[in-house]
Amino acid sequence: MTSREFTIANEYVYNTSSTLRWLNSHIFRYPFLFILYLITMTAMVTSESLSAIMVGRAFDTVINNEGARALTIAALWVVATYIGYGLFDIINSQAIRILAQRVERDARDELYLSLLSKSQTFHGQQRVGDLMARATNDVQQIQLFVSPALGMAIESTLSLIIPIITIITLDLSLTLVPAVFLVGVTITLIRHNNKLSPVADQLRANFGVMNAGLAEAITGIEVVKGFAQESFEEKQFSTNAGAYRNAFVAEGGITAQYLPLLLYGMLVGVAFGHALFLFSQGVVTVGEVIAYMALLGKIRSPIRFLLRTSSFTQQSIASARRVLEMILTKTELDQNRDGVSQPIDGHILFENVDFSYEETAVSTNAPLTLQNISFSAQAGQTVAIVGQTGAGKSTLTKLLNRTFDTKNGRVLIDGIDVRDWNLDSLRSQIATIEQDIFLFSRTISENIAFGARDEVSQAQIEEAARMAQAHEFISQFPKGYDTVIGERGVMLSGGQRQRLAIARAFLSSPRILVLDDSTSAIDSNTEDQIQKAMQQILEGRTTLLITHRLSQIRQADHILLMKNGRLIAQGSHETLMERDNVYREIFSGG
Amino acid sequence: MGITGGLTPEEYDRIYSDSQLVRRIGGYFRPHVRKITLVAAMVTLISIAATISPIIISRGIDTLSSNPELQLLLVFAGVVTTLGIVSWAFNYISLWFSAQAVGDVVLKLREDAFEAVMRRDLSFFDQNASGRIVSRVTSDTQDFSTVITLTVELLSQLVLVVVIGVVLLTQNVSLALITFVVGPLVVIIALVFRRLAREAMQNVQRAQATVNATIQETISGISVAKNFRQEATIYEDFQDSNDLAYQVNLRRVYVFGSIFPLLNTVSGVAVSVIIYVGGLMALRNDVSVGDWYLFVQGLNIFFYPITSIASFWSQFQQGLAASERVFALIDDQPLVLQTAQETMDEINGNIEFDKVTFNYSTGRDAVLEDFSLTIPAGETLAIVGHTGAGKSSLVKVLMRFYEFQDGDVRVDGRSIRNLDLSQYRQQLGLVPQAPFLFSGTVADNIRYGQLTASETEILAAAQRLGDGSWLDDLADGLNTDVGERGARLSLGQRQLVALARILLQDPAILLLDEATASIDPFTELQVQTALNTVFDGRTNIVIAHRLSTVRNADRIIVLKNGQIIEEGNHDNLLKQEGNYAELYMTYFRHQSLAYEVWVE
Repeated sequence: MTSREFTIANEYVYNTSSTLRWLNSHIFRYPFLFILYLITMTAMVTSESLSAIMVGRAFDTVINNEGARALTIAALWVVATYIGYGLFDIINSQAIRILAQRVERDARDELYLSLLSKSQTFHGQQRVGDLMARATNDVQQIQLFVSPALGMAIESTLSLIIPIITIITLDLSLTLVPAVFLVGVTITLIRHNNKLSPVADQLRANFGVMNAGLAEAITGIEVVKGFAQESFEEKQFSTNAGAYRNAFVAEGGITAQYLPLLLYGMLVGVAFGHALFLFSQGVVTVGEVIAYMALLGKIRSPIRFLLRTSSFTQQSIASARRVLEMILTKTELDQNRDGVSQPIDGHILFENVDFSYEETAVSTNAPLTLQNISFSAQAGQTVAIVGQTGAGKSTLTKLLNRTFDTKNGRVLIDGIDVRDWNLDSLRSQIATIEQDIFLFSRTISENIAFGARDEVSQAQIEEAARMAQAHEFISQFPKGYDTVIGERGVMLSGGQRQRLAIARAFLSSPRILVLDDSTSAIDSNTEDQIQKAMQQILEGRTTLLITHRLSQIRQADHILLMKNGRLIAQGSHETLMERDNVYREIFSGG
Repeated sequence: MGITGGLTPEEYDRIYSDSQLVRRIGGYFRPHVRKITLVAAMVTLISIAATISPIIISRGIDTLSSNPELQLLLVFAGVVTTLGIVSWAFNYISLWFSAQAVGDVVLKLREDAFEAVMRRDLSFFDQNASGRIVSRVTSDTQDFSTVITLTVELLSQLVLVVVIGVVLLTQNVSLALITFVVGPLVVIIALVFRRLAREAMQNVQRAQATVNATIQETISGISVAKNFRQEATIYEDFQDSNDLAYQVNLRRVYVFGSIFPLLNTVSGVAVSVIIYVGGLMALRNDVSVGDWYLFVQGLNIFFYPITSIASFWSQFQQGLAASERVFALIDDQPLVLQTAQETMDEINGNIEFDKVTFNYSTGRDAVLEDFSLTIPAGETLAIVGHTGAGKSSLVKVLMRFYEFQDGDVRVDGRSIRNLDLSQYRQQLGLVPQAPFLFSGTVADNIRYGQLTASETEILAAAQRLGDGSWLDDLADGLNTDVGERGARLSLGQRQLVALARILLQDPAILLLDEATASIDPFTELQVQTALNTVFDGRTNIVIAHRLSTVRNADRIIVLKNGQIIEEGNHDNLLKQEGNYAELYMTYFRHQSLAYEVWVE
């Protein structure tokens, strides 16, 4: 993480060299909880084994006729071990769950911080929905790695090993059968998991396909019905649901074949035979045979547990990998603290600019999103950018504040390459009003004030709102400027959101403005308001204006016509009317 | 998180009696009766084996106190081993066949549910959010399958409890009674826990929903925060909600982290009591050592099923509720019903609304009342009016998306209620405001207009729009992936795809809801030219939002509260300075080339 846009003091550093190491470094941030878990778990399994020994002891007291007192003592030992088990269990299950919750919280925090520190380039390319899924669902899945997966794995391992070690205290030769059993379980378990995991993946994938297809058919129901294609959709759904069914049955088949359970079934009988044999040789007592059988009884549930552990583990590791991948994504810009830091006048120059989203600049065949773009704008001018969606209009504007950097050519502001500006100085003087306007669920005042770098007074906020033609509609809300956006049905129309964004931009008093105005107002009154607001904010600033509005295009100082990443024509309205056929056709009022 | 989300009842939900539910579920299993019988037999055998094994072991232990012969002992061990292997085999058979049966039943249930959804008219989709319909068809059917698996599991546990109970009773009544006390105790604890857990879960879910919303917002807000260099502020917001999420989850941890330790301790105490009492009895020779052993083992076998029944009971109920929801979805009837299935191959496109009254649902105000309108074949009719005037209702009634209550709608003189719905709709072409595209390529989407169309026909249709140059602007021409819901195409491009789809379908009547959102001037030009091609030779009804459309229409009708209040062409109507002129000032003025705003 060399280049970052945002840092905080005392940030905890995790090991990101591999998914497992990363998960481990999260877990070992809380060594106390983990060790507490280990200790209590060992204590639990030990008391469980101890109780088995004590049960055997109780039997011996009776068989050897040691009297009621000896039996009472043995029985009290059994109670003690069980209660001890219960107490350790409470601490134990809280510890692992708390640890899991902390790991979830920390992982989310780490992810969020890394998102904040990444460049606009990164955020420009990322789908918000995807980020959201990783920060909520995937991060939640990560905790499954701790509880139950890791917890179950440790519990199962200890519950397999400690009873068998305890058997040594009865008689060493009794361990023969369980030891062979352990080896068998290890081998069959690994083979089982290898067989199951591709099928489980398939099952999940098929479910996804079925769900997505279904959702689409329902959202597009008007089209389905309009074209009378219900039976076609039914056939498609059947195919998808059938594929899911097949994977489900295949998974059921593999689960049914779980071999460790067969080994356990055999273990009980064979071990019993071995114990009886040793008894007949006079090596062990009846009580020891009983304790032995009781200890083997403890092994049953870990064997069943292990069946489920692997699916939890795989699921959570996959999620962890997705989160870590996002954290590790490189970001190529840094804050450039030593760069030029001065007030911008507003002269813009694009010099033979090429740009491509492909990272591999080496491959010359990568499609260029922008190709050979050159134009200039004097301070205070308005440049209208016109073209189809996908022509490269917004990409072009994003080279200005270094959301992206050019591949070839230069972008200069006031004669200085943007790469030589201090990033903070550069960005704080360029305001962007996007097409999709994001407002926070806070009060209108707070949303407008978000644009200001320093504290602003309520009077300044209202002044900004007035200039943005927003004051009127804000005042009509019962709570006025204190109205919380998004709460209790306070839904703003597109036009209202746009004007709030303009007010927000006023407070940041930028020297250069990038305005994506490709959404339109439905009615003429709103349109009047927006136009007024825009004329206010354009005044005295260099503006790159992406627009569909003919009136705005006509009024701009300079017009760029774009198609497929190229500038096909530029000039004033009059020039273009003269020179460009398509342009003329558009303005002929078809 | 959908646990409570999915449980909110829908209007079409109904309550089924237990016997109805059982009969319905049984119906789905009838085709798999042999598999189910086999599974049931296996489950019973497994339970019996699980009981025999400890009995044998206890007999074996009994013989130890007498003078055991090694051979006899090995027979005991051999029987136990065989039982272990046989149980595994039974278990394998039962799991394998129940997976097949459950897989097939769930598949059938899903198909039925999907088919039921497809039969529904659009009023159903208005009332029910798509996400919730989806969850009924996929998740609820999934939950239903857990009911089956759990039923098998619970039944086998129940059989085991009964078998072991009977065996213990025959061995020793007083020890058996001590063992049985554990049952109710566990049930009571489980019930108390369930109440606590439910409350905790509800609180947690409610808190979690808010927290998730804040977290999501702080993530969407990153870009804005970076724009204004406000990262520190937004990070604080994030941390607050992330911490809150942690606190809320801890509360759940405390409840769920204590139930199993408690249950285990209860069983441990019970085991100790059996050991003590049984030991005393063995000392007095009231029971044999082997029987005593059997009780110590038996308690564990007895205890396990009861715990699992108690802990799975709520899941079982959830699954039953899920199946109830799926059945409600399947059983609900559509409102649009055809009275006959008259065939209709070719039509001219004369449309007649005859005193039609229509509302979206009973009890709501009529959108159209006593509405009459005749549209001759080949006419291009523009409908204008404020939101809620009834413009799109008119189109939806004609599409037969909704049932109208009174009057009649006739096409070429035949009531649309009597027509074969599928054939009729194929004669109608609908282009909605924001055309919906399915994920896939542009060609796939055009083909939807006529599934049998060849690549050449698709290309031809696409090229007939404008000069076909819109295809050049697509990254990969006809093979361009449109993305989810067509998101990778611009609105204008989606409209062009929708129009090409209509050309392929070649309907006699075109219903167009014009886009209100603006399109870039280049594409706008392409769309307008394309429309001229598509309009050609059809009856066209356009809900107009574009100035150019109203100008070029043969006839404009002005709708207000479901009534036609003005009628004529653009110039005439504008001159009247009536409602049309007012609408013009409200919706069309700013689209005019002459539009300009000056700040005073």
